[in-house]
Amino acid sequence: MEKGQNVDQWREWDAYYSPFDPCSPRQKYYLIPPDQMTTFQSAGLKQYSPHEALKRGTLWPDLYSPYPRGAKEGTR
Amino acid sequence: MSSEKSLPKAYYQYLHELQAVDFVLVELSLYLDTHRDDTQALAQLQQFQKRKHNLVAQFEASFGPLYQYGESQTDAKHWAWADAPWPWQV
Repeated sequence: MEKGQNVDQWREWDAYYSPFDPCSPRQKYYLIPPDQMTTFQSAGLKQYSPHEALKRGTLWPDLYSPYPRGAKEGTR
Repeated sequence: MSSEKSLPKAYYQYLHELQAVDFVLVELSLYLDTHRDDTQALAQLQQFQKRKHNLVAQFEASFGPLYQYGESQTDAKHWAWADAPWPWQV
């Protein structure tokens, strides 16, 4: 699965695969965004430039957590 | 059919710049809600407020009112808000 720039925020998970399962086994992925890890945003974090922040949707690189571009339905 | 009056590039550049400055203002305001004693962020917000004020003044000087309902200066002789392009036509 294409994970985009925030690779370290993704976790894999292998569910139990039953012999009677008609579908082929598929690894599952889930995202742990940075705000789950930080309790309180610390002051003085580094910032994007205004235009970059507008494009990325956040002013702070440490909190940037995009969805991978072009991930088709069902491929994750 | 395209209207006879096409907009100069500066029009869109101003709007794009305004969009970026507005976004930073939103982010900083939300941040300051929970970090009210962060004077550095407060100073940055005031800096961006000034920047936005200048941008709006420049835009309105050359392209007419940007906001409705009295937020922009209104010309005494002419109701400029009704001139094309309307916001959704931009």
